[in-house]
Amino acid sequence: MARWRWLEQVTDQEQLLRLKLLGTVPLFAGLSRRQLGKLLVKFFEREYLPGETIFMEGEPGKALFIILAGRVSICRALNEGEELLATLTTGGYFGELALIDDQPRFASARAAEPSRLLILYRSDFEDLMEGQRTLAIQVMGNLLKTLAGYVRRAQSQRNGRNSMMVGQTPATDKPGMASKNVSHD
Amino acid sequence: MIEGRSIKTPELSNGSNSAGLMPPPSIIWALVVAFVALIVYLSSDFVLLLLMSATLAYLINPIVKIAEGAMIKRRVAVAVIYLGIGVAFVITAYFVFPRLRAEVNTLSSNLPFFSQRFDEAVDALQNEVVANYPAADSLFTTREVRYEKLDNFIEQQVADLPGLLSHLATIVLAGVLIPFFSYFFLRDSRRIVQFVLDRLPASHIETSVAVWCEIDRSVGRYLRGLAIEGIVVGTAAALGLAILGVNYPLLLGVVTGLANVVPYLGPIIGGAAAILVTLVQFKSLSVIAQVVILYVSLKLLDVVAIQPLAVGKGNNLHPVLLIASVIVGGHALGIIGMVIAVPTITILQRIAKLLLERRRYPTHVLDSLPNSNVPVQSYVC
Repeated sequence: MARWRWLEQVTDQEQLLRLKLLGTVPLFAGLSRRQLGKLLVKFFEREYLPGETIFMEGEPGKALFIILAGRVSICRALNEGEELLATLTTGGYFGELALIDDQPRFASARAAEPSRLLILYRSDFEDLMEGQRTLAIQVMGNLLKTLAGYVRRAQSQRNGRNSMMVGQTPATDKPGMASKNVSHD
Repeated sequence: MIEGRSIKTPELSNGSNSAGLMPPPSIIWALVVAFVALIVYLSSDFVLLLLMSATLAYLINPIVKIAEGAMIKRRVAVAVIYLGIGVAFVITAYFVFPRLRAEVNTLSSNLPFFSQRFDEAVDALQNEVVANYPAADSLFTTREVRYEKLDNFIEQQVADLPGLLSHLATIVLAGVLIPFFSYFFLRDSRRIVQFVLDRLPASHIETSVAVWCEIDRSVGRYLRGLAIEGIVVGTAAALGLAILGVNYPLLLGVVTGLANVVPYLGPIIGGAAAILVTLVQFKSLSVIAQVVILYVSLKLLDVVAIQPLAVGKGNNLHPVLLIASVIVGGHALGIIGMVIAVPTITILQRIAKLLLERRRYPTHVLDSLPNSNVPVQSYVC
């Protein structure tokens, strides 16, 4: 019993909470606790006030964002005003394409309420992947499943379908995968 | 994680949360930079101390990060690592320091006869060369001229000794203060970064994080690479010299390892010290040639094997830019300038690349893309 109390004393409880949240993020599904720990130390944290812009559409993407607390709106500029594409809450993630390349963002992200975000810079992620093949394959696999989900969704929209069938993408096969994050309106 | 989809236009924000009376952030940052520059100018010694502390912190930080990844509190991890380093230092001191001290004592006791022994060695070497290549005789100076030059050199060094001794107190103080400061750097670095991040304009966070990561990575890789290189090259030199039977191998290994941190010039300084000792000890060209071969091999090993392993990917700097930065750094800040020249120029190059990236893609560039009418997924960004 005393042994566990000692362990509790040296354990960073805040970091542990972040680790648990990271474990629920579909992009990092299947990673071991050790791998998640290695990934977690690469993240930065930042608090955003309501209405603050996280990134703008058209800017080169450099980082992935994970919502630790709060709500974030993803919007796309129209000729008149903006289209709200989605509102993400705790555990949601956005900006994942920045992990692949530095092409311009497809949409803008803005804090809808006081929010705390975890930020992972692409090069830090690449550095981690270099030395961790298992982690790299797992995360890239998850990312590919996410992208496959997007492609199928875009295809179904093009074909005039309003919603996607359950089980259409490999991503939906696993509970908590990225396609669950996509709004099905 | 998702809350439906609706059409609305949230209030636009430029990312600034400052009140109306506050001056623009650019002015605040300019004042901060000017203040820091003034502090650096007024207290360069203190800044140097902080730089060295930060260097030590950078060297230890990867171990702290491993502990943090295992969910151990940062302050606990730093304290345990410091304790470990302390124990390792004491053990090393117990085994290595007596031998090193013996070498230093022998060298100091031999110093008064150094001039004479050096002269004898040069004479012997000169005779050996002339015996083999008579034409080379005209290249050597006369014994009198050499005496005069050597005496002047030794007199100058002896005259500088009080100055060197006055620095001894500073060196001892630095030996205490550097680990002290680096302990707090390590313990609080995350909080310091967090403090700065929370005060940066929201819309520039992504670029700021990118810039910070590039700086952190470049400096970290460079410093850790230098430390590993120094230890490996120094150890290899000490072993090689011991095998060749050269006196003071441990001391010369330490000198070689320390000098190795200075780009280009460092290996020459280390090699010159070893050649000087070999010359006085053996008075033979063949042993000097062996020492030269040893140092050239070490340099090759360093470039081919140690640097790629220790520093990782190259810094992608053009060799001319690299050498120019070392020369400019040396002129501006001496040896410290030469050491920090390479990481500084690497950082500047990376930052310039990152900032220029913003210009590469003008805002709303996507609207002009030919396939922008293709239905896109809900929120890929």
